[in-house]
Amino acid sequence: MGEYLPILVLIVLGLLFAGLSFAASALLGPRRRPTSAKVAPYECGIVPDVEPPQRFPVRFYLVAMIFIIFDIEIVFLYPWAVIFRQLQTFGLVEVLVFAVVVFVTFLYLVSNGALDWGPAKRLERADTKRTTSSTVSRVPGGPPGEPSSGHEAA
Amino acid sequence: MSAPPGITELAAAAAKLAIPHIDYLSVLPIMVMLGGAVVILGWSSLLRRPMDSGWVTSLTVLTASATLILSLFQWGAVLAHGAHTHIDGAIVQDGFSAFVSVLVSCIVLVSAVIADSWLRREGVDGPEFQVLLLLSAAGAMTMGVANDLIVVFLGLELLSIPLYVLAALNARRAESGEAALKYFVLGGFSSAIFVYGIALVYGATGTTDLPQIADYLARNVLLHDGLLLAGLALLLVGFGFKVAAVPFHLWAPDVYQGSPTPATGFMAAVAKVGGFAALLRVFVSSFHLLQNDWRPPVWVLACITLVFGAVVALWQRDVKRMLAYSSINHAGFVLLGLQAASNRGVAASLYYLFVYSFMVIGTFGVVSVVGGRGDRRHSLEAYRGLGARQPWLAGALTILLLAQAGVPFTTGFVAKLEVISAAVHAGSTDLAVVAMVSAAVAAFFYLRVAVLMYAPSGAGSEHALDGLGIDPAGATGSSGPSMPAEAPVLVARGEAGSVGVPATVVSPAPGAVDETIPAGVAFGVGLCVAVTVVFGIWPETLTSFAQHATLLLRP
Repeated sequence: MGEYLPILVLIVLGLLFAGLSFAASALLGPRRRPTSAKVAPYECGIVPDVEPPQRFPVRFYLVAMIFIIFDIEIVFLYPWAVIFRQLQTFGLVEVLVFAVVVFVTFLYLVSNGALDWGPAKRLERADTKRTTSSTVSRVPGGPPGEPSSGHEAA
Repeated sequence: MSAPPGITELAAAAAKLAIPHIDYLSVLPIMVMLGGAVVILGWSSLLRRPMDSGWVTSLTVLTASATLILSLFQWGAVLAHGAHTHIDGAIVQDGFSAFVSVLVSCIVLVSAVIADSWLRREGVDGPEFQVLLLLSAAGAMTMGVANDLIVVFLGLELLSIPLYVLAALNARRAESGEAALKYFVLGGFSSAIFVYGIALVYGATGTTDLPQIADYLARNVLLHDGLLLAGLALLLVGFGFKVAAVPFHLWAPDVYQGSPTPATGFMAAVAKVGGFAALLRVFVSSFHLLQNDWRPPVWVLACITLVFGAVVALWQRDVKRMLAYSSINHAGFVLLGLQAASNRGVAASLYYLFVYSFMVIGTFGVVSVVGGRGDRRHSLEAYRGLGARQPWLAGALTILLLAQAGVPFTTGFVAKLEVISAAVHAGSTDLAVVAMVSAAVAAFFYLRVAVLMYAPSGAGSEHALDGLGIDPAGATGSSGPSMPAEAPVLVARGEAGSVGVPATVVSPAPGAVDETIPAGVAFGVGLCVAVTVVFGIWPETLTSFAQHATLLLRP
C-alpha cells in the first residue's frame, strides 16, 4: 500500500488545487453577470449585425508545428544528455541522426512558408482549374465561394 | 538539492547500461524506407518550386525497389542460416518477417506508380503523398519484424499516423477531411486500447518480449488468468480496429470512401498487412498455449466479419464504399487462417494477404481513373458501358473483381481455398461453411459491377439499374441476407455522413469525362492483373513461398 501513497497524495493535491482555483475565482473575480451586450465582440462601438469571422490565419498552426518539432526534440535530447557518457559514441551518432531527421521536417516547414510572414513577396499564378465547386469552403454563416473579409490579416 | 530516491536508482541503472549489439543489417530495409522518405522530403524542401511529381515517384520507386531487393536478400539469409532475433530480442528475422517486408515493398512500388497520375490530375503538389507512403510502409514492416509488444506498438503508430494524413491529403474535398478526422479519432482510440492491452499482458507475465511471454506461459500455470485474458482481449480489439474486423469496422466505409482513391488502395493493403502480420505473430506464436481461450472469440469475429462484409456490400451504390465492405469480407477470410492457429493457417493467411494486396491496389487504381477529376464519379452508374468506352480498363477491373470473388484460375480462388482448407484442417468446418457461403454472396456484388460495365450505355438514368433486375431490392431477394434488420440502418447512416458535403457534386453525363488511362496506372494495374492471373494459374511458386514464411516460434 505504501508505494501507492504518493499517487494518493497527488490526487488529493490535484483536487485541492482545482477546488481552490474555483473558490478563488468566485471570491476574487468581478461579480457581474454577463449580458449579451457585454460578451459581444468589440467593433468600434457599433452594434454588430453579422457574426464576426471565426477564422484566424493558418500560419499560427504552422508556428505551432515548429514549436512541437523543437519541443519533441528537447524531450528526447534531455534524457540523452543525462546519460550521455554511458551511451558513448553510439548515443551521439543516434542523436545526430535524430536531429537531422527533425531538421529536415523543419526545412520542410520553412519551404512551405511557415516563416514567410508579412505581405506576399511574389505573386503566385492562380490555379485556373480551381472553381468554386472544386474548392471546399464551408464557412459558417456565409455562402460558399464568397470571399471572407476577416482572414486577410496575414 | 538532493535527488529523490527514484532518480538515483535510475542513474545507477544507467551507469551499468549495456548497449545491445545492433545488427543494422537486420533493420536495413526499414532504414532504407525511412531514409528514402527523409531524403525526398529534404531534397524537395531545398528546391525553389515543388519537385516534379515524376521525380518524386521515381525516387519512391527506387527506394521501394532497394527495399524489395534487401528483403529478398534477408529471405535468402533466413533460408540459409535460419531465423534469428536481433537488437536484444526486439527484432526477429524469420521467413514471416521477410515475407511481410517483400510484400510491403511491392505494395509501395505499385501504389506509388498508380498514384502518380492521380497527383497530377488533382494538382496535388509536393512530395507529401509519396513520403507518407514510405513512412507508413516502414511502420508495416516494423510490425512484421517486431518481436516485442512495444515494437509492435511503435510499428502500429508509424503505420497509422501517415495513413491519417494520407486520408486528408485531398484538401479540396470535404469528404477527405471528414474521413481523416474519423480515422484519426477512432485510430487513436484503438491505439489507446491496444496499449492498455500491452500493459495488462505485461502485468500478468512480467515481460513484453514475445518469446518470453510464450516461455512464461509454458513454465507457469496461472490460477487467476483474468488479467492476462483481459489484456489479450484488448489486444484483439486494438488489432481488430486496424484490420477492420466487424464489430470494429465502423470507420472503414467512411474512410475508404472519403480518402483519395490511390491512398485508399494503399491503405486497404498496407494497414491489413501490417495489422495481420503482428496479429498472427502475437497470437499464434506467443499466446499459442492460450489458444483455447482466444480461438472462440476469433471464431465469432471471423464469422460476423465474413457475413456482415458480404451482405452489407450488396446495398452499396458507391463503388468505393462497396469495396470497403468487400475488404471487410476479405479480413474475415484472413481471420480464418488465424483461427486455425496452425502453421498452415499462418501460411494461408500470408498468402491471402499477398494476393489481396495486389487485387485491392489494382481495383482502386481503376476506380481512381473512372472517378475522374475531383474524385467524384464513384456511383455504380459511372461504370455503365465502361466496357465499350475503355475496354482495357474494364477488362482489368473485371479480372480483379473476379479474382476478389474467388473465381478459379485467379489468385483469389487459391487464396480462399488455402484459408478454408486450413480452417477445415483445424476442425473449424462450420466456419469454413460460413466462409464459402459469404464468398458466394460476395460474388454477387462483384459480378454486378462486371455486368454493368458491359451493359449498353446511354440510358444514364438512375432507374436504368432497375431495368437489369439488379436493384438493391432484387439483391435482397435473391441472396437471402442473414441480417435484414441491420443493413438498411447502415446504409442510412452512410448517407447521413455525406449530408454535410456541399451540394456541388455534379454527376456529368457518362462519356463526358476523360477516362484515358495514364501510363502509370496502366503499368501498375497491369502488374496487379499479371500477378493475379499468373499466380492464379501457376500458384505453386507463391504458395511454397508462403509456406516457407514460418514464424520463429512455431505453434
